Amino acid sequence: MAEKKVRFVIERQDSPESQPYTQEFDVDYRPGLNVVAALMEIQKNPVTVDGKKVAPVVWECNCLEKVCGACMMVINGRARQACCALVDEIEQPIHLAPARTFPVIRDLLIDRTRMFEALKKIQGWVELDGSWDVKDAPIQNPYTAQTAYEISHCMTCGCCLEACPNVGPQSDFIGPAPTVQAYLFNLHPLGKFDKPKRLNALMEKGGITSCGNSQNCVEVCPKFIKLTTYLAQLNRDVNIQALKNIFNN
Amino acid sequence: MFHTTFYIRRLHSICGLAVLGMVLFEHIFTNSMAIFGPAALNGALEMMELIPKPIFLGLELGGIAIPLLFHAIYGVYIALQANNNASNYGYCRNRNFTLQRWTAWYLVIFLIWHVGYLRLYTKGITGTPISYELLQNYFQNPVVVVLYVLGMFAAIFHFCNGITTFCMTWGITKGPRSQNVVSVLSMGLCAILCLITLTFMGSYLI
Ligand code: HEM
Ligand code: SF4
Ligand code: SF4
Ligand code: FES
Repeated sequence: MAEKKVRFVIERQDSPESQPYTQEFDVDYRPGLNVVAALMEIQKNPVTVDGKKVAPVVWECNCLEKVCGACMMVINGRARQACCALVDEIEQPIHLAPARTFPVIRDLLIDRTRMFEALKKIQGWVELDGSWDVKDAPIQNPYTAQTAYEISHCMTCGCCLEACPNVGPQSDFIGPAPTVQAYLFNLHPLGKFDKPKRLNALMEKGGITSCGNSQNCVEVCPKFIKLTTYLAQLNRDVNIQALKNIFNN
Repeated sequence: MFHTTFYIRRLHSICGLAVLGMVLFEHIFTNSMAIFGPAALNGALEMMELIPKPIFLGLELGGIAIPLLFHAIYGVYIALQANNNASNYGYCRNRNFTLQRWTAWYLVIFLIWHVGYLRLYTKGITGTPISYELLQNYFQNPVVVVLYVLGMFAAIFHFCNGITTFCMTWGITKGPRSQNVVSVLSMGLCAILCLITLTFMGSYLI
C-alpha cells in the first residue's frame, strides 16, 4: 500500500553552542495532521529519510490549542504556533527551524528569558501590596475592558519578536509584545498609578523608539492583538510623558 | 534618566520629515524649472544667488548640511539595527521598511557623490556656477542620468514612505484605517514627484 507521506526538513542543533544541521523525516499523512502531532510521530520513530536512527527532535508544547505559546517555531520561514499549523494548509516539504531571535537550547527548543526580562523592565504587573489596605478588586473601565482583554491574551509566544526586523542580536529592542504589555497595565485601574514609570522605561534605549513600523508583529500575532495600534497609542503616551518630564520640573 | 535615545530618535524623525522634506521640495521645484527651458532654470538659479552670501551659506549649513549629516549618520546607525526580512515576511509595510533602508544606503553613496561633485567641487572649488548648460553637458553621460534618476526616486520614496512612518512614530495615525489612508496618499505623492523628476530630467535629453 503506497501511503501518503509528509516530508519534514528540520533544522537541528545539539547544544546552544554547536553548529546547526538539517535532517529530513517522513511522517504518515492523516487528515487533520498538524506540525506538533507530526513531531510526536518523529519522536516515536526518529528515523531520517535515509533510514538513519537519530536522537529524537526536541521541541516544546503544552496546551495544543494556541493558548500557552510554547510551541512557537519558524515554519516555512514564518514564525507561528506549531500546534495550529495544519499540514493540509502549508506547503510541503515543511521546513522547521528554531526561532533564532532567541537563544537555541536544543533543536527547536528556545530560551524566552529575554521576554520576561523585558516585562520586568516595563513593570508588567500591578503593584498590590504596600502600606495600604488591600480592598476588593477595583472594577475595570468598561470602555477599555475589551482592549485590555485583547492584550491580556498575549501568551509570550515570541512570534512577534521573531518576525520583527528590529529585534535580534544586532539591536537591544525589547520587542513588540513586552512594549504593548505596558499599555495593558497602564489601562488597569490600579496599574495606571505606575503609568509614568512604564512610559519612562519605554523611552529608554531599546524601548519603543526602536520600533521601525514594519508592522510584521501585527501580521503574525496568533492571538490577533492589534499590536501596531497600541504601539501608536504608546507613541502618543510617551510624547505626552516627555512633555510632562520637560515642563513639570 | 535623560532619555537621550528618545529625544535623538524623535529629532531624527522630525529632521527627516520637516527639514529634509523641505529641502527635497525646494530641490524638485527649482530643478523642475528646466522643463520650461534653459532661461527658466538659469533664472531660478540666479534668483538664489541674489540671497546675500553669508545668509545663503548659513542656510546651506544649518538648513541642509547639519540636518542631513545628523539624519544620515544616525540613520545608518538605525539601519544597522534592522535585520531586513521581507523575503520571509513579504507584507506591504515590511517591504517598504526594507526599501526605506535600501534607499537610505543608496542615498548615502549618491549624496556624497552628488553634493561632493556639484556643490563642493564644481561650485565650491572650481568656482563654476551651476547652470542649465553645465547640467545638460553633465547629463550627456547616460550612466550619470540613470544614477541621478535613481537617486531622486530613492529620496522621493524614502521621504514619502517616511510620511507614513512619521505619522505612526508620533502616534498621529493610530488605527489601521488612518494609517492606510496616509500610506495611499503619500504613495500618490511619491508617484507625482517621480513623474515630475522624469519630466525635468527628460527635458535635458531632448
Ligand atoms: C542620506 C542618507 C539617509 C539615511 C542613511 C537615512 C536613514 C533613515 C532611516 C534608517 C530611517 C528610518 C527611521 C526609523 O525607522 O525610525 C529614516 C526615516 C526617514 N527619513 Fe531618512 N535617511 C537619509 C536621507 C533622507 C532624506 C534625504 C530625507 C528627506 C528627503 C529623509 C527623510 C526621512 C523621513 C521623513 C523619515 C521618516 C521618519 C520617521 O519614520 O519617523 N531621509 N531615514
Ligand atoms: S511594527 Fe515595530 S515592533 Fe512591530 S514588527 Fe515592525 S518594527 Fe517590530
Ligand atoms: S503579542 Fe502576540 S505574537 Fe507577540 S508574544 Fe504575544 S501572543 Fe505572541
Ligand atoms: S502548544 Fe500551546 S500554543 Fe501550541
